[in-house]
Amino acid sequence: MQSTEERVIMEVIDLKKHFDLTKGFIKKTHSKIKAVDGLNFQVYKGETLGIVGESGCGKSTTGQLMLGLLDATEGHIYFQNEDISAMSQEELRKARRDLQVIFQDPYSSLNPRMTVEQIIGEPLVVHGLASGKELKEQVRELMKLVGLREHQMKLYPHEFSGGQRQRIGIARALALKPKVIVCDEAVSALDVSIQAQILNLLKKLQKEMNLTYIFIAHGLPAVRHISDRIGVMYLGKMVELADRNELFEHPLHPYTYALLDSVPIPDPKLRKEHQLIKGEIPSPINPPSGCPFHPRCPFATEKCKIEVPEYREILPNHFVACHYPLLQEDTNVLPDSGISKVK
Amino acid sequence: MSNELLKVDDLKVRFKTDEGYVSTVNGVSFSVEQGETLAIVGESGSGKSVTSLALMGILPANGEIYEGAITFEDKDLRSLSKKEYRKMRGDDIAMIFQEPMTALNPVFTIGYQLRETLIVHNNMNKEQAHKKGIEMLETVGIPDSDRVMGRFPHQLSGGMRQRVMIAMALSCNPKLLIADEPTTALDVTIQAQILTLLRNLKKNSNTSIIIITHDLGVVAELADRVVVMYAGEVVEVAPIQELFDNPRHPYTRGLISSIPKIHDVVDELYSIEGTVPNPSNMPTGCKFHPRCPLADIECTKVHPELEYISEKHAKRCIKVKG
Repeated sequence: MQSTEERVIMEVIDLKKHFDLTKGFIKKTHSKIKAVDGLNFQVYKGETLGIVGESGCGKSTTGQLMLGLLDATEGHIYFQNEDISAMSQEELRKARRDLQVIFQDPYSSLNPRMTVEQIIGEPLVVHGLASGKELKEQVRELMKLVGLREHQMKLYPHEFSGGQRQRIGIARALALKPKVIVCDEAVSALDVSIQAQILNLLKKLQKEMNLTYIFIAHGLPAVRHISDRIGVMYLGKMVELADRNELFEHPLHPYTYALLDSVPIPDPKLRKEHQLIKGEIPSPINPPSGCPFHPRCPFATEKCKIEVPEYREILPNHFVACHYPLLQEDTNVLPDSGISKVK
Repeated sequence: MSNELLKVDDLKVRFKTDEGYVSTVNGVSFSVEQGETLAIVGESGSGKSVTSLALMGILPANGEIYEGAITFEDKDLRSLSKKEYRKMRGDDIAMIFQEPMTALNPVFTIGYQLRETLIVHNNMNKEQAHKKGIEMLETVGIPDSDRVMGRFPHQLSGGMRQRVMIAMALSCNPKLLIADEPTTALDVTIQAQILTLLRNLKKNSNTSIIIITHDLGVVAELADRVVVMYAGEVVEVAPIQELFDNPRHPYTRGLISSIPKIHDVVDELYSIEGTVPNPSNMPTGCKFHPRCPLADIECTKVHPELEYISEKHAKRCIKVKG
């Protein structure tokens, strides 16, 4: 077993990203969107860390910060013990050889006027790693790796289906032999049968190339399938993080519990009443005081309205930010308000 | 059957393109009974949405029904004039869409749009319509509905807009509600709220629902019966439990096994190889044969018929017996 330091490939410390909302001619800042508001977590070598949450929770912003595509307002992101948030553009460019990304919609992230060969080869050209015959050979290898055929090399993105375009995106991300890949909703736009193909491909590549994934998505079944550990975000904060089975079987945060319960299960025998949580996600411009989930939480007390719960490890490797984490027996005796009718 | 509300028989829809006519719905037949919730499942390109647009009589300008019949309570919908069809929509059949923002008019308030529906279809005056509008918003679980009446669509969240759409669709007590991917654009906790709303509607009224979706989770939550579509054809029809317990068509089987299960983690997912065929270049014989694990030479030649293996269960496959 490696020591913790050796296992950690990335570490996020007190990370914050606030966007200014400006008004008028002199662009006076009148309020801030707290997209990411104090994150702390580690990413282990070779694992898949899933990050889930609903719209506006800050999961995509987190991904962009970790890639150095956005500057952090506060805090640090360490990649192999170097602080990405303090790097110059030149240093960042080098670091990005190891940090790659796969986006949700491969169509809008692929240049429509470039052939597949040019798209996949571009990172190699930009970083001056290959040219001529060798470039072509490497592109051919990459295409084979992701299940594309060699004769498709000269085709343009629009000539491919959604699933194949995602394969192109993956081949391009792999070109520089990165260590970490951020998958931002990488399978969300795909049909189920195609989604399964891409999830299997990502798993296979991870094994073969010893990759670390940060898998950001809102679709919980896919996240559970691919992740080793899963973090749940709500309004810019991590509310819970644990091993995937632990998280799904013993969620400690009421939000996680409600989120998991909301997922429709593809088995009519398991049809049930959902434990609906009331209301909608508040705006990150003016988040609630105290615990951000308190207005929707059936267990909220006065303390939750005032005091921000500390994000802490309350069981080994199980982190949660809640004043009253759910204990096993609690899930059977939820109070009547909000979360209703637990059987 | 006596309580049959809608019957679609051998429906064919084609679109005029630069390369000539492309047929995207190729002989679809199904029926919906009163009070029944029917799910139409399929992936992109299966023709499920086009089928629903054809039922509503709102195909895009370059699309047309070129064969088949749609019967709604003994009325032949294809013979209706534009005006009659318009009356029918809203009065008898209503539809909700995936993205309510595009279906609601951005320059009118929610109240105006709700009232308009009621004034046109139910002959109400403005005050009556306003009162009924507020009542409808309450039914779909919108808090503070008096104030929401004065709001514009962009001032509401996605979940709220979907509720408004549902309120509008239900305001004239339609006999049939067609819901095209009603929760696909919503967050999962909001999706659960909307699904519960639809389920209550089903429980408390005799409205028939056609739900069109790619999500078998949503199907399992709501439907009584399921029609599975692939490449413009119905490939399987079965009651909900039967479909999940005993799927007969290889496509249905593949679809069910390729979803990651939240309670049953496997190492590798089953996946259907290849992609959905292009409607202008359909495979010969069975349209699923290039992706099918059971396909042989016969499948490339014979186009299978939809065959009933029991009273309520049909499949379109020559390889799977019984």
